[in-house]
Amino acid sequence: MNHPKLTRSARALALSLATSGWLLCGLAPAQAQPANAPIRIGIITDEVGPAKAYAEPVTLGAQFAAKEINAAGGVLGRQIELQIEDDQGKPDVSATMARKLVDANAVIILSLSLSTATQQAQTVTLETKTPHYTPSNSGDTLTTQLNNPWFFQSGPLGSTQVATLLSYARAMKLKRVALITETSALGQLTNRFFKEGLIRNGIEVVAEEVVPGGASTAEPQMQKIRAAKPDAIFLAGVVTPENVLMLRAYRQLGLKMPILASYNLSVPVYMNVAKGLLDGLAYVDAFDPAKPELQKFIAAWRKDHAEDPNGLHGYGYDGVYLVADALRRAGAVDKEKLRAAMQSTRGFNGVMGAKGSSYTFPEGKRTGFDESGMVVRIYEGDRQGKVVHVGTN
Amino acid sequence: MQDLIELAISATAGGCIYALLALAYLVVLRPTGIINFAVGDWATVAAFAGYLGLSRYELPWAAGMPLVIVLAALLGWVTERIAVRPLVERGAPVLAPILALLGMLVVFRESVSLIFGPDPLPVPQPLGYGRIEWGLIAGSYQSFFIMGVTALLFCGTWYFFERTLAGRSFEAVALDRKAAALMGINLRRVTACAFAAGGAIAGLAALLLTPNTSAHYLMGIPLAIQGFTALVIGGVGRIEGALAGGLILSFAEQLTVRYAPIPAGLAQGVPLVLLIGFLLVRPQGLLLARGSSR
Repeated sequence: MNHPKLTRSARALALSLATSGWLLCGLAPAQAQPANAPIRIGIITDEVGPAKAYAEPVTLGAQFAAKEINAAGGVLGRQIELQIEDDQGKPDVSATMARKLVDANAVIILSLSLSTATQQAQTVTLETKTPHYTPSNSGDTLTTQLNNPWFFQSGPLGSTQVATLLSYARAMKLKRVALITETSALGQLTNRFFKEGLIRNGIEVVAEEVVPGGASTAEPQMQKIRAAKPDAIFLAGVVTPENVLMLRAYRQLGLKMPILASYNLSVPVYMNVAKGLLDGLAYVDAFDPAKPELQKFIAAWRKDHAEDPNGLHGYGYDGVYLVADALRRAGAVDKEKLRAAMQSTRGFNGVMGAKGSSYTFPEGKRTGFDESGMVVRIYEGDRQGKVVHVGTN
Repeated sequence: MQDLIELAISATAGGCIYALLALAYLVVLRPTGIINFAVGDWATVAAFAGYLGLSRYELPWAAGMPLVIVLAALLGWVTERIAVRPLVERGAPVLAPILALLGMLVVFRESVSLIFGPDPLPVPQPLGYGRIEWGLIAGSYQSFFIMGVTALLFCGTWYFFERTLAGRSFEAVALDRKAAALMGINLRRVTACAFAAGGAIAGLAALLLTPNTSAHYLMGIPLAIQGFTALVIGGVGRIEGALAGGLILSFAEQLTVRYAPIPAGLAQGVPLVLLIGFLLVRPQGLLLARGSSR
């Protein structure tokens, strides 16, 4: 049987139609979701890069919250669905993932990765007018470098940490202190806020040391600090192995002045890797064991997990619950309405923060953590001990 | 003065770690011509094996240390079999196995991260936590342990290469692979042994380091850079060069941080300036290989 042959022009037309159809399938935005489809919340996390140790538990906390919310009937009569993307802790990849989530019709994007990655992802959320929120990043400049009304932050700011530590230290009448940090971007930023806060309070910084990533000792840095004879050491590092080196050198050289540390020392991993080095260390935390909401969260978590939760889980948990609350107040799955609802969040009680503290995004500000909501705790032996100070007064 | 001596002991211990890593590069590089950047992640895998053996299963160091070193040697040997030998046998240029080993680095790192998670894990101190103070000489037990073990290893390695027939065959391959093959030396076996030895030495470096730093899945890259810098400084010709390179690098790092009147951030760049300086002024490194004219 003879098949009619296609003319060259007909073949070209068919080819061009097929190609354009394929391209359209690939490039066209996703179709609007059915009314009862799950509400998609995008999450950008770091599964392989430098922030993995922190991003992973925050993501687990977010997933746990989503599971609880769905079990309780969801939001606006719909289930919520987390679409999780990995940015490897790289700012450029983070922006790409943000665009992917926008294309996937995510109503909001939660950034749980590095601060620098979150910053870069904002270029996409600003352009596409997509609500964007980090419940865990603490960099003070995330809401100031770019005027992005779509972006919100509820992690405790570096400036809040230093204000809390300084208020605790006021009673110690410190005149001269040393600063020590490591080379990560957040470690440097935290150090900068510590230094600015100290100088503002009339406290002289007599030594400022940096332990490079991958170092095998921090003894020369601690020797310099010892020689400067400070009243106390402010430890601004956020990378665990380098912080352990600092603590080991401090003990090794027999230093006795108190250490006041960033919130990073609240991560329970220190109780495992820095055994024998922690006793007496004061650190700022957003995990107040006396808070009823936290106690409820811990009890619920224990039913599902073999290990107790920590603050990192709490940030992710609070993040998804805060978004669910904003969605309910928005009354519809609409980006502009959700943005407005996020901005009008007032007194949202999460599990993080001191007893009685809550999240609020005051008009004109997009940082929601209560400025008096951090606590100072003390290590007792190798255990995270009692709260010795609350807030900034 | 006490500061300086205390620092010298700390710098010597740090230099020993760098020297071991440089030696791990060197034992592979000399007979094969391959720069193996996977040494850092061999060390990472060994660090986590150390955590398993010494922390989780609480083996005594006398049993756990040899076990981890044997495992690291096995890792080196397996790396050679799957990432290097197939390429060499197909006549690939020397850059190909170097790139394949860079790929293996990622495989090792991500495997460790998937198995053990992202948190650092502790490795216990072999002699416990404490400090020796003898007059002006003062340092941690671990610093002296690192120096003692490194000295023993370098003496043993020197003896192997200088005084044994097997060691001389390595040197012959390093001088001229084709001539060595014509003289009946089995190049495959020498290459496999070189990778196994490199793995074992990198594993030992990790075991000595991690009681201070903890085992962490991102620890490999800095170790690879530090070991390579020490190798370039000391020269690729002789094992004493690896030791000298490690010590020079560590002293430069620590003395700069402690005494140089420059901001702390800039002090980190000094080792790299040193590396560039050596490459410009003495690209062959501090010590020349025997038989080299320059």
